[in-house]
Order: sequence, then structure tokens, then C-alpha cells
Amino acid sequence: MPVPDTFREGLARGWKTHDGSRLENDLTLEADVAIIGSGAGGGTTAEILSAAGLKVLIIEEGPLKTSTDFNLLEDQAYSTLYQEGIGRMSKDGAITILQGRAVGGTTLINWTSSFRTPDQTLEHWAREHGVKGHSPADMAPWFNKMEQRLGVAPWIMPPNANNDVIRQGCEKLGYSWHVIPRNVRGCWNLGYCGMGCPTNAKQSMLVTTIPATLENGGELLYLARAERLIIDNGKVQGVECVAMDERCVAPTGRKITVKARHTVLAGGGINSPALLMRSNAPDPYKKLGKRTFLHLVAFSAGLFDEVINPFYGAPQSIYSDHFQWRDGVTGPMAYKLEVPPLQPALASTLLGDYGQKNAERMAQLPHTHMMLALLRDGFHPQSVGGNVELRGDNTPVLDYQVSPYAWDGVRRALHNMAEIQFAGGAKAVMPLHEDADYVKTAQQARSLIDRLSLEIFRTRLGSAHVMGGCGMGEDSAQSVVDSLGRHHQLENLSVHDGSLFPTSIGANPQLSVYGLTAKLATALAQRLKA
Amino acid sequence: MSSAAAGVSRRGVLKLGLGATAFLSTAGLTASLSGCSSGSAATGFSVLRASDLPFLRAAIPVMLDGALAGDALQSAVDQTLHSLDHGLARLSPEMLNLTQQLFDVLAMAITRGPLTGIWGRWESADAGSIRHFLERWKNSSLNLLRQGHSSLLQLVLMAWYSRPDAWAQCGYPGPPKI
Repeated sequence: MPVPDTFREGLARGWKTHDGSRLENDLTLEADVAIIGSGAGGGTTAEILSAAGLKVLIIEEGPLKTSTDFNLLEDQAYSTLYQEGIGRMSKDGAITILQGRAVGGTTLINWTSSFRTPDQTLEHWAREHGVKGHSPADMAPWFNKMEQRLGVAPWIMPPNANNDVIRQGCEKLGYSWHVIPRNVRGCWNLGYCGMGCPTNAKQSMLVTTIPATLENGGELLYLARAERLIIDNGKVQGVECVAMDERCVAPTGRKITVKARHTVLAGGGINSPALLMRSNAPDPYKKLGKRTFLHLVAFSAGLFDEVINPFYGAPQSIYSDHFQWRDGVTGPMAYKLEVPPLQPALASTLLGDYGQKNAERMAQLPHTHMMLALLRDGFHPQSVGGNVELRGDNTPVLDYQVSPYAWDGVRRALHNMAEIQFAGGAKAVMPLHEDADYVKTAQQARSLIDRLSLEIFRTRLGSAHVMGGCGMGEDSAQSVVDSLGRHHQLENLSVHDGSLFPTSIGANPQLSVYGLTAKLATALAQRLKA
Repeated sequence: MSSAAAGVSRRGVLKLGLGATAFLSTAGLTASLSGCSSGSAATGFSVLRASDLPFLRAAIPVMLDGALAGDALQSAVDQTLHSLDHGLARLSPEMLNLTQQLFDVLAMAITRGPLTGIWGRWESADAGSIRHFLERWKNSSLNLLRQGHSSLLQLVLMAWYSRPDAWAQCGYPGPPKI
């Protein structure tokens, strides 16, 4: 039975959308609130504001793709649904950055892991960054609300073999592990969350808050890049957008001007600060785009006798926080352990080398396990994050240097991952580094990892979580917006996305964005209705 | 090597490094000024240029060696080129520009010889010398060349393993039917 494409059904019922690539003339749109970005922050905000009776316009740079478009092919998904056609990386090219760019934002292509912001992180923000009103107790009802809204629950099916290695390895070593809560309803356990959910089971913004907004009379403009905020007299007077071609590569020449009483910036880390930079928004203390964090990721591959088939099954269902908080919140670089899904194109670049070596590793893909460590950056004085800059064509790039403090975390993470993989039954383990190959014993892995020269390009690094850059806090000398997301200098501009976070989260950040922006949007609706 | 000798050689490398960086940017500039890196795509491609193809046709078989052989390899080269072209056509203009600069450096004799050790045309380079060039870039003291090495491998491997013809060799049955 074919899966109903609920979004296209809504369009057929008359939802109001504008496709920037097809505009034949310039366009002016008006709304009470313009929301720039349609991911976790933008979608959540749009639903809440439109339910409060405000007229909302969502502006999305990327294309509108719906369940019938999701054909589970890596090249098509990566080039269509990811920032820069999956070309986004840190300025020096050392860290690949996976971020969504389509209606639904990163929620369209994330792996569904849904964690509340850890208490330690919220308390650290209050203590060190002047964040007010977002204590664990303050936030709990908002996380609960969004968990209900998006069907978040610990994964009920058995983990796939790739995830189960964490469980088995940690059990054997006496390390803690837990089941990951996922935002799915009626999930088919396919394993292709990173390419757009073909069954509409993932409760991304595409199937939840954005349809609700459109039902409430809101509008959606897509394939339109918010180029500049028109700022005058300490207020945002409008948003200038350029229409993008259907590849989302080149402007078509058509322009869209958006007029709204209030503007919400929800383009995510990197893009939100960049729009403020392009707009010459006031930044008296030079905080804009600074302290951008990545949850830098390092990887370890394991070979098993049994079949793992790491490309099938819910991508993330088991995690370990054993190494996350044991040395305190601000101790040595700590990390969360998870696994990535491993379809062949992604696998081929992770497994490294080329020719015979790469072919041998690829030939063992069905028996390959992959583990990753998300490094919790931004909690220690030596972990300052990266800076967003504008390139020659005014598009942003993140300059992120890997500090010695972070490399120390990478090395310990490689050790722990290898240890867990061997304990979980691996017959060989390979840290993902140019100078490493599979080794057959835990002892060999230990001496190999101790010897590795940890440096950029030799160590394969990635990131799927961009956080910070418009940090929140009550002290305007230390932050870009206040704890309610209100810009310190521009009275009718709010930021509602992951760029608010003063540090990284220490967990996959989507539920942190949902919970916080639900709270901020509810307060914004009250202010706008007053 | 004595530590003194190592010091001297590191300084030597550093000097060469700075020189080469300047050289690279000059070469990029020369290429764009002379029209050598013309923006026009080769027949049958949307962004790959005729000047990009000799390098890619020489390097792809070396990078995919072991995954396939014979006629299958030739077909894989063509498929990889088309996947690569499709992906490049959807990259952000800034990233495409960087990729094309990399291809220019590899295509032009003035930069190709000194930076890759391939002094003749790519068409006549044997697999051994291409492996040598890749090894040299991997271990270069110049971040730019190490980045180039990493980008080339990622572009080619990703382009090939996106193709259904690549999947049998790596035991991937393909995506499920919905």
C-alpha cells in the first residue's frame, strides 16, 4: 500500500506556499511574524504563533521535498537536502558539517535521537553564562510538551546490530548504556532517516508543525534565501530575500521583500549569525558568530564475524554517557557514544584510503560496525568554539580550530570506543585515521591509538550539530540575545534556534531546540498579542 | 636523521611551503586570467570542464582499483564522472570554485609538475606515479595539499559508491522498496 504524502494532500487542499524558483516577478509578502528558517526552531515557533492567531510567514532557503521524493538514494538526498549540497565544512576543510537545508531543516535529515537538554548543561548556562529562567525545573514542562507533540519515546524495537554493539560492549565492561528516545510514530525501522523519511514516520517539522501552521492560515516561502534584514531606528523593517533556482545554488534574479511586525531568526548555527552579519546588525561587543560549537565527532570502525548490516534499521537507538559527566561539567573534554548509520557512499569516505585498501574495507561493509563520539565542546576555558565569517560572496563559513584540549578528548574517545568494540565482540578495530588500519587485539589498539599523530586531515572528523553563535544571556556584553531570545539591540527581532546555546548541549540537540523555542515562542505570542 | 638535520630539513620544507602557497595562488590567478579554467562545461557534463577530465580519467581508476577491474572499471570511471558532475552542479558556488581551483592546479603543467611530480600529461601517467602523487599530498606539510588529497578521495569515492553498480562489491543490497 503506498504511503500517503500528507504534505502534498495539504497543498492540494489549498495550503498557501510560494516557490521562489518559479517566481516570474519580484514579490512582496506581509505577515505579523516572519520566521526565517523552517527547522526545529522555525517550525516550533510557527506552529505556536499561528495557533495564537498571528499571521506567520516561514521563509526557507532550501527546496520543498516531501515523502514521495525521498527515494533513499544517498547522492540525491545529500545534494538536495543538505547545506551547500553537502559541501559544508569548516574553513580549513578539516571537518565535514552535516546540516539540513530544505523545508523542515535538519529535522528532515537527522537520525531522530531526542534528548532533553542535560540538567548539568542548563545549570552551567545559568552559572556561567547569565541565562535566566531555563533551569531544569523551568524547562521540564516544555520538553514534555514537545515530546508529546512529536511522539518522542524510547525506541521500543530491538536495536539493530550496529547499535547493539554498544549495549553488549558496555554490559561486559560495566559501563552504563541506555535506549535512545526517538521522535517517530509508526516507524518502519528502515534506517534511512538521513535521506528524508519515506513513510512520514519521523515527526520532523515537515509532517508536524509546518502543516499545522499552514492549516492555521500561515504561509511558506521556499527556495528563497534571506539575504538581508532591513534595519532602521533599532528595528527590523523588513527582510530582503533572493529567489534561488531549483538546485538552490544560484539566485534567479527575482527578489522577495517581506514586511512583518516581528522577525524570528531560525536559520540555525552558522546561518543565523551570518544573516545578522550581512545586515550589519549592531554587535557592540563583537559576540556575533563567536562561540559556535560542533560536537566534534571522531569515529572507530569494528569488524565482526556476524552480519551487522549497518545500513539497515533505526540508525540510533543505544547510547552511552558513561564518559560524559564523570570528570565534572568543566573537566577534560567529555563525550557521548553513539553509532551512525552506514550506507555505502558515506561509509566509503569514512573508511578512508583508496584503491585496494578502501576496496577491501568496503567489501566487508556488511560486517562493519561504526561507533562515534560526540565531543562536548564549550564547557572549558580551552574550548572556545569557532567563529562564523562571511566569504567573498557573503555566504558564511565557520573557522573552527581543533584545540589540544579537544585532541586529548579525541584520543581518549578512540581508546574507549575500541575497548567497547572489542568487548562487544569485534575481531578487529580501526580508529578512523590515515595512519591506522584494522588491528586484532585490544592491546594492539591501545598502542596504535597512543602512537597516532592526531592532526587535521589525518584524523577523520565530522559534525552534525552546529550550536551557538547568537549566544543568549542577560549580560548584553557577553551575549547576542537575552534569555527570551530577544536581540539585545533590535527590539522586534528574536532568535529561536540552536545558535542561542551558550555552549554545546552534550546530547543530540533537536529536543533542546524544540523545548527552548516552544517556551520562547509562547512568551513571544503573549507579548505580540498584548 | 640527526635532530640537527631534521631541523634543517623542516626549515627547508617550511620555506618551500610558503613559496608553494604563493605559487598556488598565483597559479589560480593566472589560470582564471588566461581563461585556462574557462567556466564552460565539457560536452555531456554540466560543470566538469574539458580541462578537468584528463586528470580525473587517470586518477579514478587508481582510486577504484581493487573494487573492480577490466571493462567494469571503464564503465565505473564514466559513471563516477557523471555522479561527480551531478554533485558538483549542486555544491555551493564557493565550494565549487575551490574544487575547480584544485582541478586547475592539477591540470596546468606549470603547477602539476612541481606539486604532483607528474611532469608529463595525465594521459601518460602510470598508476604507480599517481599513487606516489597521492601519497605525497597526504603527507605534505602544506595544509592546502592535504586538504586537496582528502577532497579528491571523498569526491571520487562518494560519487562511485552512490551508484547501484557499486553495491554488489560492498555487499549492500540497496534501499528497501517502499
